[in-house]
Amino acid sequence: MAENNSEFPTIIGSDACFKGELKFEKGVRLLGTFEGTIETKGQLHIANGANLKADVCAGEIQVEGNVKGNLNASGKVLLKASAKLDGDLRTSKLEVAEGAVFVGNCVVGPQNGTPAQSPALAASPPVGSSAPAPKKVPVGK
Amino acid sequence: MATFGIKPKVKTRRIECPYCEQSVEVGMRSMSIFCPHCRQRVILENIKIKTYHATRDFVTAGDVVVEKTGTLSAPTRVMSLTVKGKVWGNVAARRRVCVKRTGSIKGDVVTPSLIVDSGGELNGHCRIGVHDATISA
Repeated sequence: MAENNSEFPTIIGSDACFKGELKFEKGVRLLGTFEGTIETKGQLHIANGANLKADVCAGEIQVEGNVKGNLNASGKVLLKASAKLDGDLRTSKLEVAEGAVFVGNCVVGPQNGTPAQSPALAASPPVGSSAPAPKKVPVGK
Repeated sequence: MATFGIKPKVKTRRIECPYCEQSVEVGMRSMSIFCPHCRQRVILENIKIKTYHATRDFVTAGDVVVEKTGTLSAPTRVMSLTVKGKVWGNVAARRRVCVKRTGSIKGDVVTPSLIVDSGGELNGHCRIGVHDATISA
């Protein structure tokens, strides 16, 4: 119990209903309903019976409940037998247990292990990525 | 004592045609049949792919295993698929798709059950566990 608390210091109870933007560092266990966006470098656990209607950027995601939205994880995504995911999935590691329901685009591979960033940032090109144009050196003459 | 007119009982099994999805009774040791409903040639064998295999359409009513050294480049329609190598193309399985640690699928996946081991790669649109999903590669 103490270990679970240290892993998931924040718990949204089964009778709670949140709507908005959620940012956290360590871990969150969702037992109730959440609508909005979630951004974290830590772990997100959607328990059995929970409902999530959000776009998520997280380190690791474990799904046992209902999720409607896009999941973007730099680490591992685990869909357990009771999971229902309706949305796109982008992760470096994926484990889907037998019985899970998943409908959406899926991109899984080691190349997707980028640090977690917000969905808005993920959509736009990275700042400062363009290299300075090389100097044109005249050839011949 | 010779017996005439009595045919020995042949052990049969029921399979589902991957083209028309009708149930067909076939012999236990049959390797291929012509479906009596849609008149398509249906392969019944379980297949192991160990090398590069590219075709226009890869359809079997059996189970397929793509070994670590194997690559399957085709739209695939099978009973169950185990991927230890590479699969390039849409996959439709009637029972299960299993992507092992060394496996990789590039294409859409439609199946009632998907098992992806940690390390496996999957790139495409997925419809997993949806009962009204039309099985078509």
